Amino acid sequence: MEPVTQATSAAVGSVIKPPKSQSPWALARRKFFKNKIAMISLVFLIIVTLLSIFAEPLTIPVEETAKINLTQMSKEPSAEHFFGTDKSGRDVFARTLHGGQTSLLLAFSITIAVITIGSIVGATAGFFGGWVDNALMRFTDFMMNFPFLLFVIVLKSIFLESSTATLIFVISVLSWTGTARLVRSKVMAEKENEYILSAISIGCSPFKTITKHLLPNVMSTIIVQATLTLAVMIVAETGLSFLGFGVPMNIPSWGNMLQEARSPDVLTSKWWIWIPPAAVLTGTILSINFIGEGFKDAFNPKSNR
Amino acid sequence: MLQYTIRRLIGMIPIIFLISVVVFSLAKLMPGDALSGKIDPLNSDPAYIEEMREKMGLNDPIHVQYLRWMSGVVKGDFGDSFVHKREVMELVGDRLPNTIILGVSALLITYCLAFLMGRFSGRYAYSLGDYLISGFNYLALAIPSFVAALVAIYIFSINLGWVPATGSIGSGVEPGTFDYFISKAKHTILPALVLGSLATASYTQFLRNDMIESSRKDYVRTARAKGTKESTIYNKHILRNSIIPIVTLLGFDIASIFGGAIITETIFTYPGIGYLFVESVNARDYSVMMAIAMMLTVLTLIGNLIADLLYGLVDPRIRLS
Repeated sequence: MEPVTQATSAAVGSVIKPPKSQSPWALARRKFFKNKIAMISLVFLIIVTLLSIFAEPLTIPVEETAKINLTQMSKEPSAEHFFGTDKSGRDVFARTLHGGQTSLLLAFSITIAVITIGSIVGATAGFFGGWVDNALMRFTDFMMNFPFLLFVIVLKSIFLESSTATLIFVISVLSWTGTARLVRSKVMAEKENEYILSAISIGCSPFKTITKHLLPNVMSTIIVQATLTLAVMIVAETGLSFLGFGVPMNIPSWGNMLQEARSPDVLTSKWWIWIPPAAVLTGTILSINFIGEGFKDAFNPKSNR
Repeated sequence: MLQYTIRRLIGMIPIIFLISVVVFSLAKLMPGDALSGKIDPLNSDPAYIEEMREKMGLNDPIHVQYLRWMSGVVKGDFGDSFVHKREVMELVGDRLPNTIILGVSALLITYCLAFLMGRFSGRYAYSLGDYLISGFNYLALAIPSFVAALVAIYIFSINLGWVPATGSIGSGVEPGTFDYFISKAKHTILPALVLGSLATASYTQFLRNDMIESSRKDYVRTARAKGTKESTIYNKHILRNSIIPIVTLLGFDIASIFGGAIITETIFTYPGIGYLFVESVNARDYSVMMAIAMMLTVLTLIGNLIADLLYGLVDPRIRLS
């Protein structure tokens, strides 16, 4: 038997050194990158977002898209106008890009607002329990009773000089309830763990316990919920604009562009006016849903794909 | 069960009261008032308008107006429509059958399609057909209803000319005849198909996953061990257990059918409740708007109650208390 020398023990020590274990986030990221459909969707969404952000340098300024050009009415797609022009002679390609900017920006803002309100209400109710929980949840239930579309339409018509900001406000106020319920149930389950008890026992304030200890551990749920909310909000915005209760008519948005298809003439014989926004809209929502599915899968330790 | 239902119904009263306050204040906050429709448009003398306002009680304090409206609502009287010059209940009663026909046909389409697709996907999981169905599901979840409606009108009404694109009945058709029925069906089928087929996704997925889960259970293994035919196992043993949970989704659908048809009805200019609502908001026809908002909110409440009751009925382990 070979005596253990200093050299061998050093070698053994360097070999046995445990491999750096991966954080749950790194594991989730690896799993997500392996998910082909989700990655394709992510690339698609990034392209759509970039095209929308750089709509102005790529095409023409927003002010130009609103200008009515009587010499260029309802032109078919050509080299000059990639997607043709609409009934007022406005370039459909430029409007699709600018419309993407409006629709995506709105949906992102609403999602951030909804997730913030929902998380605050849900975390507070779940963490404190008792009468706080009771009061907040009764209020949430009450808000849930309002049929969404109906009340957005009513609220929208109250604000006469409606801007995109009021639309963001109105939709956010009516749609945080689902997130609040979800975060509450997750926080209630997470709160029972010992590390929360120890955090409280060493004197962490409730605010610190929630933000530093609880929220990071329910973050995966919140991220999945945010992705799904984003898709729903794009539909809500475009649907409302389509009905005429959304973004003001002079601002291009996918919903406003699709509104043109309500005239039978456009729908019948001028497909290039409504097909582009419809296709991009559906593709975007589809890709967001796939990304959400990918997140859900990646964060789920039980799924091993 | 009965006790629970009664308790829930009593619990609804304060909620309905609060909602009525919200609906009423929202209607009062909306700009303009509905006088223009009620008053003779040729007589715009300010004194005359003031007199009419006084007569209609629009100058009364807000709580008096609310109480007057609410006492009518309790008796089922929502006042008169300013635009249509008729009683609101009469107007709503005219439109309601259309929405119910549309809703019920959409539901039937949803259940039939979801049943067929879910059964196939559950039985032949991870097959080509299953992937095609789940692809359809993803598309149905992603495509907004108004885009689907536009595409459907473009294909079936304009290019193929099978069904009309707008309205709910052809002109000059006598009610009660066979032609009337055919015309009605032709007008309803397209919006119903759009509404119904887009809603299948969650049902199909639910049924599929439940069938896959059930197929690993012991009672299925027992049935297999006894030499039961595979088709019998799926059609009799598994399907019977998996179909039940789907029924519970019905409660949530009741409200979403009436509330969610706003967009579809508007596109097809289908004269139902949703279209009436959009019209009345645009025309500032408050009494109609308030009546529909109240009705739909109460329907949501009742739908949730039905969903809870069905849960308890289907799964006796859930105690209603």
